[in-house]
Amino acid sequence: MRSHFWNRSAALLAVAAMAACGGGDGGSSEAADDAGEATPAAAAVDPSTVGTISGMANFGGMVPTMEAIDMSAEAECAAGYGADGPMAQSVLVSEGGLANVFVYLSEGVSGAPAASGAATLDQVNCRYTPHVLGVQSGQDIEISNSDNLLHNINATPTENRGFNISQPRAGITSTQRFQVAEVMVPVRCDVHGWMQAYIGVVDHPYFAVTGADGSYSIANVPAGDYTLTAWHEEFGTQTANVTVTAGEMAVATFDYNAEMMGAEVPMGDALVLEHGTNRIRVERTQ
Amino acid sequence: MATIVAEATGQAILHEEHEQSFLRKYIFSTDHKVIAIQFLIYTLFFLMIGGLLAMLMRYQIAWPARGELPLGGIFPESMVASGYILPEFYNALVTMHGSVMVFLAIMPMLVGVWANYLIPLQLGTHDMAFPRLNMLSFWAMVPAGILTLASFFVVGGAAGAGWTLYAPLSARPDLTGVGLGQILWLAALVFIGLSSILGSVNYITTTINMRAPGMTWMRMPLTIWSLFITAILALLAMPVLSAAGIMLIFDQTIGTSFFLPEGGGQPLLWQHLFWFFGHPEVYILILPAMGFTSEILSVGSRKPVFGYKAMVLALVSIAFLGFIVWGHHMFQSGMNPMLGLTFTVSTLFIAVPSAIKTFNWMGTMWRGNLQLHSAMLFAIGFVAMFAIGGLSGVFMASTPVDIYIHDTYFIVAHIHYVLFGGSLFALFGAIYFWYPKMFGRMMNETMGKIHFWLTFVFFNLVFFPMHGVGMVGMMRRIYDSTGYAHLQGIEDTNAIITWAAFGLFASGFLFAFNFFWSLKKGRKAEANPWNATTLEWQTPSPPKHGNWEEIPVVYHGPHEYSHPDVEDKDWLAQNERPDVVSPAAGSH
Repeated sequence: MRSHFWNRSAALLAVAAMAACGGGDGGSSEAADDAGEATPAAAAVDPSTVGTISGMANFGGMVPTMEAIDMSAEAECAAGYGADGPMAQSVLVSEGGLANVFVYLSEGVSGAPAASGAATLDQVNCRYTPHVLGVQSGQDIEISNSDNLLHNINATPTENRGFNISQPRAGITSTQRFQVAEVMVPVRCDVHGWMQAYIGVVDHPYFAVTGADGSYSIANVPAGDYTLTAWHEEFGTQTANVTVTAGEMAVATFDYNAEMMGAEVPMGDALVLEHGTNRIRVERTQ
Repeated sequence: MATIVAEATGQAILHEEHEQSFLRKYIFSTDHKVIAIQFLIYTLFFLMIGGLLAMLMRYQIAWPARGELPLGGIFPESMVASGYILPEFYNALVTMHGSVMVFLAIMPMLVGVWANYLIPLQLGTHDMAFPRLNMLSFWAMVPAGILTLASFFVVGGAAGAGWTLYAPLSARPDLTGVGLGQILWLAALVFIGLSSILGSVNYITTTINMRAPGMTWMRMPLTIWSLFITAILALLAMPVLSAAGIMLIFDQTIGTSFFLPEGGGQPLLWQHLFWFFGHPEVYILILPAMGFTSEILSVGSRKPVFGYKAMVLALVSIAFLGFIVWGHHMFQSGMNPMLGLTFTVSTLFIAVPSAIKTFNWMGTMWRGNLQLHSAMLFAIGFVAMFAIGGLSGVFMASTPVDIYIHDTYFIVAHIHYVLFGGSLFALFGAIYFWYPKMFGRMMNETMGKIHFWLTFVFFNLVFFPMHGVGMVGMMRRIYDSTGYAHLQGIEDTNAIITWAAFGLFASGFLFAFNFFWSLKKGRKAEANPWNATTLEWQTPSPPKHGNWEEIPVVYHGPHEYSHPDVEDKDWLAQNERPDVVSPAAGSH
């Protein structure tokens, strides 16, 4: 109880310090900011004991061409896109940076503040916003619908309890939670087959999602040695060892290229077709 | 506990009465009449719940874009959000409306209430063959009701795969978002199966073994015949559903794949098992209603039932044919055309005994001294509505027509003409008819007649237009029909149906008021207020524990009205000695 109090006090001071310094996170873009809102660690640390991890997800070589999405069945949604129309979002590269990489501390974390605040997942123009979302276990996820048409939100985790809810009109919200760490939880809309999102659930607040420029930043990480893991829906996972020193910024960069497409992507259960038997075997791909 | 010794000769009966505790008399009673009243209260409650679910459905169907559900704020966010009924809650409403009405309202009201109440009284015996099993058959329904109600409030909500529970929708939570709710309903179904099986064993045994002296098979009232045949159907059909339900629970909980193709199972197996139960179930839901109607029409027309033996044979024929037609529910699932033709032909055969019964009811009323009290009005309403429901059933029996209209509102109209216009009309009639025997007071006739006319008018306003809506192609379980080009233009019809449904639901409250008001304020009933012939009317109203001081001896058939050899009255009770009434009024 007492240490909890001091942790909170220190965290408040840290927030004030971060705010005064501009947050030290200039590289995070919109997607990362969305995830940042869901990062309760930003609320409570002792500045003399924490540092920051930041870096880039770089993409080299030819960028895979994303397929166009046929949204003609939902004219209201299709109208929200430019002349080129909506494109798939699985590989988004801008000026050499890869967006929507979920970066989180996978080893070395001991103890973490409880989740607070709510993460948000919206449905805008028949797309999930953000495409990749990070949350802390037990944290509220406010799911809303900005489209005035029916979406269902079908989350199919393997470690957590799944849900399959619908939002038939704009303005409807629903709050959900995942209680156990799980990277990743796929989310889809069964009405619109192209709608896909991923929710990374970790039991601490030290995670981020790379923004449109490929940058990320995880603030308020207690000093220590960690393993950092980066997850991407097409390129699988990479890890890096980082040492965080109090008051300093550690840098970890992840490199991607088109040849890594098709890597094993850890995500709950995979359905593997056994040819010739007409059966589907369920296989865990951890 | 009373000691009962019935002597087959109809001589003196030893029947010891002693004080019972409140708990044994009213809660854990083994008296068939108390158990029947327990079933009646239970089923009326679930009839109201089922109706309430239907009203929520109708609101959504009529005004899918409006939101603003009245009292929407009292529902959790997982059911109603921003005034909108959510699609998954709508699925639960559709599923549980059908499930509650079939399994917790209509079926136990037809059988649990009236088989319990009438079999010992009309057969002239003290109680059921197995009174404790009888008590258990009611108390097995209690956890079923609790599980059903609880399922609405668990994560994921109540079952949403339709009342037919088709796999894999019902077997895989990820497809509907419903996990525990589905399991709870299946568990409830197992309890319902247990109740039904226990009850059926009792009804069959009692009917075969405990008839009063002189109560030959062909002197049994048609009500008893219908309940007896129904009990046989239930005994053969319910175990199939219970077994299938347990298999489905296993698929959901311990990883079996009876009905899941990814594990080598067959979704079609579920359909076969369900409908092998399901079609006999249709007759479980209508045969008792036919029995009540025959009885009430005969009393209300002051004439014997026209073609008594033909009526019995028709009941038996319907029951037999009911077991070989289940495939007609699965035409859309795909089957060999020759098999489809077989099911078409066997289904059409059922029209023959059904028509025999319909014409015999009209023959019973023909040139009768009609007494249009509430019970009689509902019985006549039954005949008319059943005829419409039966005729629309002929459409469905034909494979090529069925494939077009099966998953539309046409079938919703059909099932409600049979199950509401049929079964429930007859049930209302039965309650008005036997209420004085049950509670010793008459229900208010004025309120009863208003209730009938409101129900009759609103019922037809609700369900007749559904034939048309279905022919246009409105899908039977659709959440929001407004987004489909081929369904443009039916919005007003849907709104009218919904307003009429509200009226229908409201008229039910008039019945409920009459029911409870009459318990205290109703005119005291004499033993035989309808001048009826069957044995239950020859005991006080209500009958005492044990029913009879002496087991009656039966001399006549069940419907001896306007007997030519009886001069001072137009009826002859089954237990009236012929030599006392008139030397010529011999055994019939």
